[in-house]
Amino acid sequence: MAKAFKYGIKGITGYLEPAERELLRSLIDDVISMLQPAESASEDPLTALIGLDMNVREPSDRALRRLLPNVTKNDDAASLEFRQLTERSLRENKIGALRAAALGLDTNELVLSPADARHWSQALNDVRLVLAERLDIRDDADAEHVHTMQDWSQAEDVESYLALVYNFTTWLQESLVQAMLQSMEPRG
Amino acid sequence: MTLSVALGPDTRESTQTGTVTSTDALTAPDIPWNLVIWNDPVNLMSYVSYVFQSYFGYSEPKANKLMMEVHKKGRSIVAHGSKEQVEQHAVAMHGFGLWATVEKAAGGGKDGGSGKGKGKRG
Repeated sequence: MAKAFKYGIKGITGYLEPAERELLRSLIDDVISMLQPAESASEDPLTALIGLDMNVREPSDRALRRLLPNVTKNDDAASLEFRQLTERSLRENKIGALRAAALGLDTNELVLSPADARHWSQALNDVRLVLAERLDIRDDADAEHVHTMQDWSQAEDVESYLALVYNFTTWLQESLVQAMLQSMEPRG
Repeated sequence: MTLSVALGPDTRESTQTGTVTSTDALTAPDIPWNLVIWNDPVNLMSYVSYVFQSYFGYSEPKANKLMMEVHKKGRSIVAHGSKEQVEQHAVAMHGFGLWATVEKAAGGGKDGGSGKGKGKRG
């Protein structure tokens, strides 16, 4: 069984079983492949250099739309324009955090630097956002319903399995964030 | 760490006069855009508070207050500034996985926004 993250002399530490690490790695890989742009970067070296992507559109997949949301509520043209300027670098930023977290999954004993912890918390959050879309979590009642699935012997279909995985990643992220908040405490 | 533009006029005023500032001071015409964070059932309350503390440099009580506002009212204005500034914050929030949008301050802010505290900031 995994142990909750905690903050101590060595920094933020945690423990995951090999099967749990494998699970996290495959979840992270899934999100990375979702985030990888369909087309390769712009042919024009200058637009590629500044990260412009004039072909980008609002994602049709709900989970991807949650990872890469519109920047305005009611102005699609402004959101699209912003997306053309920023989406590529946002995707790269997210993929970077996910890859950094995956790299840390090589050992059972986890010792996270402050930067590692930030990448882990971002990566776990993105994994949970995607799982939540797959589980159709739309409001707090849905979330509570999913939360009742805690016993792995209850896993009988894809949905209950996903719910258990979601609850595991939620628990892991919560313990990590608590440790991170603790590590921030003695600040001026 | 990026210092939020919301700290600007408010902090200056409170350090100079020691008075409690209102949201009116934060929605002055020269700072016409809001960064809005929306509630969703997935993001952990602790994580949202952590993001507000680590990214904006908000104190724990202020971060928790804004986080609870998001949770209970469905949205909260967590920073103000020029369009460019709040857009930069929004993309950072998207990086953290928070659901953020920008809006013109004049058209929004129906919920009273943030910054009704005692004017003492992290």
